[in-house]
Amino acid sequence: MRFEAHGLRSGYGSVPVLHGVSFCVAQGEIVALVGRNGAGKTTLVRTMIGLLRATGGQLRLGGADITRVPPSRRVRAGLRAAFQERSLFSQFSVGDNLRLSGHPPAEHGRVLGMFGESLAGREAQRAGTLSGGEQKMLAAASALASTASILLMDEPTEGLQPSNVGLLGDALALARQQGRGVLLVEQHLALALRLADRFVVLEKGEIVDTGTAGEAGLGDRLSGRLAL
Amino acid sequence: MDALTLELLNGLSLFATLAIVALGLGIVFGLMGIINLAHGEFVMIGAYVAYVTHANGLSHWLSLPLAAVVLFVLGACIEVGLIRRIHRRPEVTILATFGLSICLRQAVELIFTKDFRGVPNPVPGATRALGVLFPTYRYVLIGIAVVVVVVTLLAFTRSRFGLTVRAIVADRDLADACGVRTGIANFCAFGIGAATAGIAGALVAPLGAIEPQAGLAYLPGAFLVVIVGGFNRLWGVIAGALVVAAVQTGVIHFYDAVWAQIASLALAVLMLQLRRVPVEAANP
Repeated sequence: MRFEAHGLRSGYGSVPVLHGVSFCVAQGEIVALVGRNGAGKTTLVRTMIGLLRATGGQLRLGGADITRVPPSRRVRAGLRAAFQERSLFSQFSVGDNLRLSGHPPAEHGRVLGMFGESLAGREAQRAGTLSGGEQKMLAAASALASTASILLMDEPTEGLQPSNVGLLGDALALARQQGRGVLLVEQHLALALRLADRFVVLEKGEIVDTGTAGEAGLGDRLSGRLAL
Repeated sequence: MDALTLELLNGLSLFATLAIVALGLGIVFGLMGIINLAHGEFVMIGAYVAYVTHANGLSHWLSLPLAAVVLFVLGACIEVGLIRRIHRRPEVTILATFGLSICLRQAVELIFTKDFRGVPNPVPGATRALGVLFPTYRYVLIGIAVVVVVVTLLAFTRSRFGLTVRAIVADRDLADACGVRTGIANFCAFGIGAATAGIAGALVAPLGAIEPQAGLAYLPGAFLVVIVGGFNRLWGVIAGALVVAAVQTGVIHFYDAVWAQIASLALAVLMLQLRRVPVEAANP
């Protein structure tokens, strides 16, 4: 299974954000998508999962054209996203959020235990009452525990305490080992450099640089691009 | 004492009628956020299903599931053909369903004419209970209405399907991204809302005349119940029906039916003010 974007264009109403983005994510690799705020990273993820309509270009999953396919069918075809914001139904319980994400009750213990004990046994708690970091962990755990072949993780470490960033990194590495493809949208450059096999730098809706893990001077180049 | 008991039974009967008529609206308006001004016509068509069932020599009780099936299909077709194209625009939904209500009335008039029709009471006579005689069919109506309302509410609040519908209302994009088949869920929910209105129509058919304008009488009461019961709270249909029935029965007992209507409307306005939730807020 391979996810490809070819000349992808998208935006909000009459405001274009992506101007012909092309890249791919194959199974068994982690591709880090980095870029400054407002570069269009979240727009790209929302277009890939189908919440924003592509105004041009093509999206392919496993060779099939999914550019006009509704999100629910993309999910069933093996795509899964964990969003930077609004990733949970805050008024529903943790358990109901997991059920909506396709996890039967028998799996809840495993999903909630993915990042240590902090979420364990909290199925009945309203998701909106979890801390910001816990909500991010729940959304990430739900996506990682799914059977999706390609995972789109939009800033999963935002708001996480350092120990949980490490656990999340381990979980993403395990997903790669299992043969899944991960698009990791990340501002946390150290984590991206530790995990990713390839890098794509997005700037003003266009890909301005790419790189491969192990390339000489890659960290400095990416830091420069992000103006850290 | 007997007069008070009789009023209580009348109030209970009104509560059951209001609850089952408002149930579909509670699903479609309160839960899905769709302002359906054709809901009364769904009730009216349910009553005509009862009439056709009777005219063909079949049992009245058969008309209840028949009305549910006919209205589910009709409601589902309306959702696919009309509602899903406009549901994010409340003002368009209001106009479209208002037009739909006129079309449905005219269609029924073309088929059945304006003549008043009737269905004989399947359980004639009265039963003495708590010292007063009360029509037996009304006891049956109360029982069936309560069962239909409770079973439907349980299905929407406890089942995976109900969770899915509530998720779509809460955040359609997120539901989509979770893989929820939002189109099918909305189709089923609207169909079930229409089906319960059909059952309500068939159930109340023996109590009055059946004619193409009959649905108009049910719409304001149903909206009152949903407003008083609260938006986005399906179980509020029961509370809303209870409060509206109590107010109407009480005011009728002490004054008259006109003051009862005024009191119900005042109650709805008061509830809207207290919650400070504009009607359009029910439409996410």
